[in-house]
Amino acid sequence: MNKTLNMKVKELNKSKLPIVRIDNSLEKYKDKTLFKDKLDKANEMLKTTGLPKSKRQHS
Amino acid sequence: MKLDRYELKAEKSMTVFEFVSEGPKGAIQKLVQYGETNLKDFYNLAFGDKDLATGEIDDGIVSNNGDSEKILATVVATVYAFTDKHPDAWVYATGSTKSRTRLYRMGLTKYFEEIQEDFDLYGQREGEWEFFEKGVEYQAFLAQRKNE
Repeated sequence: MNKTLNMKVKELNKSKLPIVRIDNSLEKYKDKTLFKDKLDKANEMLKTTGLPKSKRQHS
Repeated sequence: MKLDRYELKAEKSMTVFEFVSEGPKGAIQKLVQYGETNLKDFYNLAFGDKDLATGEIDDGIVSNNGDSEKILATVVATVYAFTDKHPDAWVYATGSTKSRTRLYRMGLTKYFEEIQEDFDLYGQREGEWEFFEKGVEYQAFLAQRKNE
């Protein structure tokens, strides 16, 4: 029974949308900037380059 | 993407994820964060190792745990989870070094056909965004979920 369940979880976890377990201990990181240098670079890029000028047209 | 990947944990808003890399150097905790930028709905994707002693995150470290493909597949999985919760988000990513950016490009190139089924993907070159193409060197990448 457990083996079947484990296999199902493994199969599901191979779909594009992963299974994500909610862990409240990670809440402490939510409002912290963990990668400040990279975030600064991203903001700098937004100032100079901005967003793409054209977007793909979807049918 | 049918690659093997690590199990993921996240807080409720799906902006911070955690997984554990396993390899010859042991278990290494990784954190992925979608950081809010100054532009609404524009997020910076970054990930790195968590130092268990200090709690600090290091995104420059090369852990060499022999699982870089599995790590990339896991990070890509977080992009799906994050954009499922935040469908209008732009996700920006660049490597901490040129070689790491190149590694990301190789990963995106390898799975480009699958990625473009679900995302609009752009590469930054010479200060401009262009639609991602294989074989072109980019400084950074940008993705947005296609909203059907």
